[in-house]
Amino acid sequence: MPDWKKLVRERIVSASPTVPSKEEMFSELAAHLEETYEDALSQGMTEEAATEFALQEVPDWHVLAEKIRIARSEEDFMNERTRSLWLPALANVIAAPALLMILQKLAIQPRVLWIGDMAMVLYLPWLIALPIFGAFGALLAKRSHARFVNRLFVGLSPALAVLGAFGFVLPVALITDRHLLTNFPFAYFALTIVNWVLLPAFALLIGALPFLREPVSPASHQA
Amino acid sequence: MTKRIRSKIARGSGELAILSLLAEHPLYGFEIARQIGERTGGALKFTLASLYPLLYGMEKRGWVEGRWQANQAGRDRRYYRLTPSGRHQLAPLRKEWRTFFHALDALAGVSHA
Repeated sequence: MPDWKKLVRERIVSASPTVPSKEEMFSELAAHLEETYEDALSQGMTEEAATEFALQEVPDWHVLAEKIRIARSEEDFMNERTRSLWLPALANVIAAPALLMILQKLAIQPRVLWIGDMAMVLYLPWLIALPIFGAFGALLAKRSHARFVNRLFVGLSPALAVLGAFGFVLPVALITDRHLLTNFPFAYFALTIVNWVLLPAFALLIGALPFLREPVSPASHQA
Repeated sequence: MTKRIRSKIARGSGELAILSLLAEHPLYGFEIARQIGERTGGALKFTLASLYPLLYGMEKRGWVEGRWQANQAGRDRRYYRLTPSGRHQLAPLRKEWRTFFHALDALAGVSHA
């Protein structure tokens, strides 16, 4: 049996690269083709004939892609992107640091690891809780039928936000403090990245993993 | 009759058919196409290519809304339901088509027995 979702995505995207790419839409159209195919099989057609029969549902993929493009405006695309990517990511980016702030308000002391003369400050309860935020973000995105990459992005968004902040602050610091240019503390910077980006990202990823898999295809329900 | 007018008639009748079905209960795309085919004795036939652009257009206008949920076989399907705005569209659309058929009947005697 063909991979209907892959087929639909490839044909629509190649027919009209400007059509808003929505995994949700590809899934829906693929499910329709798959049911048409199964219907044909149940009427006694061979697999090959049933595939041909299902493909007759779309005489011209260019026309279909164009009709869909017209039916769905740019605004709709933005709404979809906002719904499946930016809003879940924003919720996650707010929620994870909020817990850290609460822990600090509760005066929960961090563990300090000394690596040479450098201190690594670890909020262990926060790190332990981060998989929940990874799962929360990826689940929110999955419920909005976000693609794998978007689910991963949302799941890791708190760590990515910190990375983004570093990416903004570092050039500013280099410009404003000339001393840093000649005497940049690479080791300390690397340790900070490990502490506030890589370790949280790993913890978030653990939580997000169960929600990163593609939805179970309709075919597998039949097994 | 120009292609443009034929296309408008097809679209209008398609929207009325879909809205009428969804007024009864929520359905997903394949079921909408199947029920329209069955209930019209095959006179109206929707393919994927003709159905989904209509559904997406109606969704954009706020007449229907789609939500993923499992069907009876446990598969995730996007069920469409009528919104209050879509329900408001139904009566004027029915009236419009009734007027159209009466006019056609008066002109060409196409009323059914």
